[in-house]
Amino acid sequence: MIHDIIAIIQDYWLLLLIGQYPNGPLGGLANTLILSALSIALAFPVSIMLALARLSKWRLLRWPVTALVYITRGVPLLMLILWSYFLVPLWTGADVPSFVTMLTTLVVYQGAFLSEVVRAGIVALGSGQMDAARALGHSSLGAMRFIILPQALYNMIPSIISTFVSTIKDTTLGYVINVPDLTFAASQVNNQLLTQPFQVFFILAVVYYAICWSLTHVANIVERRITRRRAGLSGGAAPVELVPAKIISEQL
Amino acid sequence: MSTPAAEIQQVQTIRLSDVCKSYGDYAVLKNIEAEVARGEVVVICGPSGSGKSTLIRTINRLEEINSGSITLDGQNIHAAMRTRELNLLRSRIGFVFQNFNLFPHLSVVENVSMSPIRVKGVAADVAHDKALKLLDRVGLADKARAYPGQLSGGQQQRVAIARALAMEPPVMLFDEPTSALDPEMVGEVLAVMKSLASEGMTMICVTHEMGFARDVADRIWFIDAGQILETAPPEEFFKSPRHPRAQRFLADLRH
Repeated sequence: MIHDIIAIIQDYWLLLLIGQYPNGPLGGLANTLILSALSIALAFPVSIMLALARLSKWRLLRWPVTALVYITRGVPLLMLILWSYFLVPLWTGADVPSFVTMLTTLVVYQGAFLSEVVRAGIVALGSGQMDAARALGHSSLGAMRFIILPQALYNMIPSIISTFVSTIKDTTLGYVINVPDLTFAASQVNNQLLTQPFQVFFILAVVYYAICWSLTHVANIVERRITRRRAGLSGGAAPVELVPAKIISEQL
Repeated sequence: MSTPAAEIQQVQTIRLSDVCKSYGDYAVLKNIEAEVARGEVVVICGPSGSGKSTLIRTINRLEEINSGSITLDGQNIHAAMRTRELNLLRSRIGFVFQNFNLFPHLSVVENVSMSPIRVKGVAADVAHDKALKLLDRVGLADKARAYPGQLSGGQQQRVAIARALAMEPPVMLFDEPTSALDPEMVGEVLAVMKSLASEGMTMICVTHEMGFARDVADRIWFIDAGQILETAPPEEFFKSPRHPRAQRFLADLRH
């Protein structure tokens, strides 16, 4: 069994790593990482804008975004992917690469989910911080940027990371519209071998686990560093005692 | 307005005329008429739920009013205006909250210096030096690099006062600044407020500290059920309150 897995890796490592590249499009793990990174990098700012729009006092901004979030959350991701894959070319006549279709859909879908996390973080802060910012003359955008969001996003790090992780795992669905990612490469391998699906997909599972675990681990380090900084430990000036948080901040 | 603005400034800083506010059918403030002269210290007192906090929050428009006007040096704070103008106006009215509302993600000195930098466009090093001076003034120069979570309530409130002063407001509002403090910390905050008053700052304080009111206030506004029932100098108010409701309030305090 382990022997089989090692043999598969030895035979197909290049396909799993970069797909058919340079003879075909870039695929495999490389493409999965690129797709994940881009999805996260784009979905995050989108989610902040969606959250701010949902908290806006202007209905024209609030209502369409609220509708978008509700619809996106209520429809399976696979449905959205298939719709954008088939409908966008039909409506626009443009030949959209499946990678772009997948990326856009993921950004909208995860952006909607993430916006609820961000919104919850902002609302949970309470009105005191905003009152203080306004009393000092900050504009609402300035207050958001320098006072509210730094706290809200920090408080929501665990939930934000969960959404990032699920974004990475959702890139596997690109398989159904032929995005040449790691899953796609693995199923090509499986189609060639035919008899060893468990071994092939076991490799797939391990790789995804490693990616997601790394992200969580890095996020934990970042979170701990911010916590230490805010506890004043890196300030170094005054001797300070670090009071351990009463709530559990460790996520494993 | 028939009187020239310059002349008004000599006499008054804040004027509330016919201010009404209600939540639905419930009237919180009823036809408030009041004036605060430059350099005057006014203490607002009254039973809980009387509208004290709401009143003070309307003065920098943290709460909207339904009718009437509140002017600062002749400028109506509740007039329709661009948010930029309102922000500018607000930056000229210092506000100290019951729960301090310091920014926990910023160090003490950053708490004090960030608003001058972000709102007024003061250079960072200038704002930083000024912040250190203000912290020194409230006796917390050694805590400049600490974070709010490491400070006691009294220290946090003193930082909050320094933060408000950093915007160099001509007027300071205090909304029960000592109510969330342990008794032994009340004194240090009141001492800072006293020194501010003695330097001629125009102040309006909602407080239950009757000792402070007696020593520092120029006038007391007694408010109940959304109305100012009595305004009097403290010695007069405490010795011989005219309004029966005020008499009862003071009698209850003595128990």
